[in-house]
Amino acid sequence: MDQKSTNSNLASHLLSERESGIVNSFTDERIASKLMAMGVLPGSKIEIIRIAPFGGGFYIKVDGHGLAIRKKEAEAIVLEM
Amino acid sequence: MVKQQLKKIALIGNPNSGKSSLFNQLTGLQQKISNFPGVTVEKKRGKTKLNKEQEITVVDFPGTYSLYPTSQDERVVLNVLANTNDENHPDLVVYVADVNFLEKHLLLLTQIKDLNIPIVFALNMMDQVEAKGIEVNIPKLSTLLGIPVIPISGRNGYNLEALKDAISQNLESTENTSKKTKGFYRLSKQEQKITQGICRDLEIKNTYQALLIAHHAGQLPFLNTEDETTVQKICSEEDFKDLPAQIEETMQRFNTFTPILEKVIKKPVLTESSLTDKLDAILIHKIFGPFIFFLLMFLIFQAIFEWANYPMDWIEAGFINLTSFLKNTLPTGWATDLLTDGVIAGLGGILIFIPQIAILFFLIALLEESGYMSRAVFMFDKIMQKFGLNGRSIVALVSGGACAIPAIMSTRTISNWKERLITILVTPFISCSARIPVYTVLIGFVVPPVVVLGIFNLQGLLFMGLYLLGIIAALGSAYIFKKILKTQESSFLLLEMPEYRLPIWKNVWISVKDKVTTFVVEAGKVIMIISVLLWVLASYGPGDEMAQVELATQSQALEQQLNEVETADLIASKKMEVSYAGHLGKFIEPAIEPLGYDWKIGIALITSFAAREVFIGTMATLYSIGSSDSEVTLRNRMAAEINPDTGLAVYSITTSLSLLIFYVFAMQCMSTLVVVKKETGGWKWAVIQFIFMGVLAYLGSWLVFQIGSVL
Repeated sequence: MDQKSTNSNLASHLLSERESGIVNSFTDERIASKLMAMGVLPGSKIEIIRIAPFGGGFYIKVDGHGLAIRKKEAEAIVLEM
Repeated sequence: MVKQQLKKIALIGNPNSGKSSLFNQLTGLQQKISNFPGVTVEKKRGKTKLNKEQEITVVDFPGTYSLYPTSQDERVVLNVLANTNDENHPDLVVYVADVNFLEKHLLLLTQIKDLNIPIVFALNMMDQVEAKGIEVNIPKLSTLLGIPVIPISGRNGYNLEALKDAISQNLESTENTSKKTKGFYRLSKQEQKITQGICRDLEIKNTYQALLIAHHAGQLPFLNTEDETTVQKICSEEDFKDLPAQIEETMQRFNTFTPILEKVIKKPVLTESSLTDKLDAILIHKIFGPFIFFLLMFLIFQAIFEWANYPMDWIEAGFINLTSFLKNTLPTGWATDLLTDGVIAGLGGILIFIPQIAILFFLIALLEESGYMSRAVFMFDKIMQKFGLNGRSIVALVSGGACAIPAIMSTRTISNWKERLITILVTPFISCSARIPVYTVLIGFVVPPVVVLGIFNLQGLLFMGLYLLGIIAALGSAYIFKKILKTQESSFLLLEMPEYRLPIWKNVWISVKDKVTTFVVEAGKVIMIISVLLWVLASYGPGDEMAQVELATQSQALEQQLNEVETADLIASKKMEVSYAGHLGKFIEPAIEPLGYDWKIGIALITSFAAREVFIGTMATLYSIGSSDSEVTLRNRMAAEINPDTGLAVYSITTSLSLLIFYVFAMQCMSTLVVVKKETGGWKWAVIQFIFMGVLAYLGSWLVFQIGSVL
């Protein structure tokens, strides 16, 4: 995982809303397989629309397509810097 | 003419692809709902006429993103498609995708294509294309995919005839379309070896089918143990790692079809924020979001609670009139009693729930169809997770405040089985409308109707306390079940947030009709049997005790110079005492004595298993005021009841409170129990729930009475 220095996972800069970036890779295979089946792929443009009212969830847009994910799932997404 | 097996087609597509709308368009009201064999996944089946001669069966499958399932619902699609011998295995797949999200909706299509199942591609939502400025080259898409593509709209029925023609043509020429086209996925060396082995040993022709079997061996119900071992041996010899292989496959498929789409579809770049974005800014706002949600839930609660009252009153009055009409016209005797007090009472007990079920599902269907439900799930997922529940559970818990039956039926939208099961198990703890009459009668014995702290009515406070107790019991036991229950299914949120849209009324109507029919037909059967059984228990007694009691009571009534109504009430009361239910009540008296109950309460506990509100009716009969339907009369009579041994009031504060606690916790509702059985696919969970709630009720009441007696 020498890419860690150049990439950061989604959750790490989720603290402010309206963040966006390009998906680079995933850190969890099971979550990756599920995310990819839904069209979240390396190269997808990902944008955080808002955080759930009670925390724990993110409303994201992937290539303009709305998706709700848990924090755990967001943490598995590595963005390109 | 010999009735031949109709050809079967399957509707398959991603969630939110508009599959159900198309299904409703094709089959109309001629739908049958059952479960896929062995699982409680809903299978909707219907028939449609392709042309004058040809009729086919259409099966609506659960929405899924790929043939690598993560939930019970999605698994069904794999199990059926990867098993050519499955009874539901289709002759042709109609693949439904939303033209707006074509680039996300094609993965599953390419997988099914590689299974060599004939496909007709129904490109849905074409009614929106013009307004959004999307251009699609349909003939080119069809050529590049090697599949007939028909642009349609499930919303307004556009081009359905063309779709039917295409289905008809492709069903007839099945042989031709299964000609080898270039696959969407090139297997790795390792996968080639594995699939060759599986094809050889399991006698399978299709390579991709073999690959799916390699991935999912151990979870496929159609593989026998021998084949399973063979497959697992082949895979472990090659040191096959399924997850990386699956990711590689998904990548490759996207890489194959994305360039195709770039050639055939043109979309304008969106710059301004859409209506959906504007609505979301309010509807899932940090503060307004939950506030609006609770407002909506409050409206739903009111609707089930208040609006349903009118039709429920009509149904009730109708049944009362019918009963008295029959009693007056038919000859008196057991047959008439069985018909009126057993069968018709049972029927009334079923039909009375229809207004609540219909209203709840009408409103839920509106929320689902409009896209709001996904937002609600998103907002409450975190909190519900803590209790082993799902964001969607909140709908069940709130509607449980009106009636647990529609609430439990609404859990079908929870795809994770464990989360759904826990929701089903704890929802009946929420105080439903049937508990209100019981609470109303008993609360008066516990606290007086005085105002405390200036504004609070003490009885109102106790009322609220009972509701709170129910909520605490629901969440608390959910937490316990979360710790106990194990599941292999991993829990994901990963939920699509579809664009807001106007509900399709046809879908709403069909959803309501389905829920009501399922309840009446499925739950109705069992409720009817239990109702008749309870009638037998309350109307018959061992030996000729009943006849003797009737004679004795009549002479007693003569001596006391009672009028006709009073005599009838007294006889009913005495007969109830010597009935099987009465004997049962006395039999369980030692068990319920530590809770502060006498045998009369025992009888009411038994009969009110039919439904909690029956408690009132039974009490009225037992206290010889059966002909009066006033709760005030009953309360006055109960207040005057003295325990012959102690000389104290039977309905002391402690006994009444203990009884209230019992009704908060106990599963005193056969209809709910039957619905739980239906929704969980067997009696196991219904029985566990009954016992769990019963034990909690017993312990709670015991504690309250014992502590109360010491104080």
